Amino acid sequence: MVLLPDLQQRDEEVAEFNSATSSRSWYHFLLIGVGLVFTLISLAFVGTILWSSRSTWSHVGTLIGGRGWQSPTGPFGGLAMIVGTIETSVIALAIAVVIGLGTAIAIVFLIPRRFRTIVATCVELLAAVPSIVYGIWGLLVLAPFMLNTVDPWLNSWPFARYVFGSPGQEFGTSLLLAAIVLAVMILPTFVAISREVISSVPQELMEASLSLGATRWQMIRRVVLPTARIGLFGATFLSLARATGETVAVALVAGGVANVQFHLLYPGTSIASWIATEFGEASGNELSALMALGILLMAISFALSLVSRWLVNRQRKVLAAV
Amino acid sequence: MTDLDELSPADAGHELREQIRRASNNQRARRVLVSRIMMTLCAVAIAIAVIPLGFLVYQLLRRGIPVLSTTFFTKVPESPSVVAPNAIGGVSNAIIGSLALNLYASIMAIPIGILTGVYLAESDSKLAATMRVIAQTMAGAPSILMGLFAFSLFVQDFRIGFTALDGSFALAVLMLPVIAISSEISVRNVPATLREAGLALGAKPHTISMRVVLPTALSGIVTGVILALSRAVGETAPVLLVIGGGYLNTWKPLDPVSALPLMIYTNAKSEYPSLRAEVWGIALVLVAVVFVLSLGARIWASRKQQVRT
Repeated sequence: MVLLPDLQQRDEEVAEFNSATSSRSWYHFLLIGVGLVFTLISLAFVGTILWSSRSTWSHVGTLIGGRGWQSPTGPFGGLAMIVGTIETSVIALAIAVVIGLGTAIAIVFLIPRRFRTIVATCVELLAAVPSIVYGIWGLLVLAPFMLNTVDPWLNSWPFARYVFGSPGQEFGTSLLLAAIVLAVMILPTFVAISREVISSVPQELMEASLSLGATRWQMIRRVVLPTARIGLFGATFLSLARATGETVAVALVAGGVANVQFHLLYPGTSIASWIATEFGEASGNELSALMALGILLMAISFALSLVSRWLVNRQRKVLAAV
Repeated sequence: MTDLDELSPADAGHELREQIRRASNNQRARRVLVSRIMMTLCAVAIAIAVIPLGFLVYQLLRRGIPVLSTTFFTKVPESPSVVAPNAIGGVSNAIIGSLALNLYASIMAIPIGILTGVYLAESDSKLAATMRVIAQTMAGAPSILMGLFAFSLFVQDFRIGFTALDGSFALAVLMLPVIAISSEISVRNVPATLREAGLALGAKPHTISMRVVLPTALSGIVTGVILALSRAVGETAPVLLVIGGGYLNTWKPLDPVSALPLMIYTNAKSEYPSLRAEVWGIALVLVAVVFVLSLGARIWASRKQQVRT
């Protein structure tokens, strides 16, 4: 009987403490409110673009499979842009991954320790250079060089014209040039991430391998790369996402012609750059078709980014297990 | 086996050991050779990577520096004509436009971004988990989509036309997920002991958040904000569709403005050599700004870390 009031008072104190510390303070509501604003913006991001493309929904087949883009009236076929996006980003990725992996390995294992931080910082700075700068470099420096030197040289090879087409395009802008510029552009990004992944492989694993008599390359091939594998896949996907979504650099150097083009020295275009170049004069149905291309681009990028996040998270778990 | 049996036991062992040593020497030589070749290929790869990138930086400096002048920084652009092909003026409108765009974008994105990050770090709810995935996905979205978003919202739905506000909204949407993610990481890195010490002193959650967690996480948050800003400054695609490309020096949010990346894009396609040459100067300024921002963020982050440890 004597204890009861005490207990009651304690309950009240506990309740007071809980209400002060638990979810019911104004601060928590502020955070939730801001979080909801963020979610709302993200939903609006998808929703408004989707809504702006509504008049194209009935022509989805044309947008994905149709050839030719008849500017004011339609039909608006997106096959050329889709093919161009795949061609440029896959070629760029192939170049960047081969050279980038070698570069990352060289930075971690060949460069003297005291220069390593400087080199890593330089790589990260280059990854921060705006893509428009790569674009003008491609247009004003690389395109004339391609036109006068590289294109004739490539075409001097037997059977090359079946891959490249004939040279002599007016400005040297082509799908191949777009792929090269994209490769140079995503190279620092790929190297920055994969250098980090490779240097986070535990030292003990490498030492164990070396102590068993492995040469340096055997250690890299059998221990470092398998351990870093998933993180390297993640870096590849992030680079691919950057190449696929690149707009202005490709708009400057790809030539901007909406033909389904498998000859790499002819001008072409990509989804993102086509939106940028056509947007100024577009209205009505064409605007809606461009918005629908945007939705397509969004779907590609979301899929790539989800896969790469998943891979990077898995890598983190693998390293944690080690 | 038969010829080994004919020899004495000691000789048999000797012969076997010799064979093994020869085989392993052969193999070792081969392994070392393969290793040398592959490491040389890696060195070649780094050389191939350095050539175009070094060439780019060299071109930027060699062609960019001659363009920089007082006129370049202080005058608005003029339209060159056949009679006066070199009358191009300066890019002050783009400098002011870029400053205004990024200022308004920061005002919109920084508070929401940081608070979203704090919420993501402090909440274990399903909503937070979903928001985290959304933020990560948005951070990887192509920047042209932000331009399409701003266009359909402001130009098509709200009908306010091509203005600085549209562009800064697009940049804010670009910065938002980046700031949210980096703020979340910084807040999560605050040791739990600090928070518990605050709780033990009887502080309320917002007090702990404002007085303990945020000040401790501040350096990381600031670094994230600066990195987001350095990305936004250089982005062309989001502003390309919506800011209108104005030729005047104006800070007003509802005026059409230009921006440095946009000037590069439009001038690079011009038929006038003078405008195409000017592009390198603008690019040099832009790259310098981006480098200063990201180096500053890095130095700030490492100095703060040293102070704390």
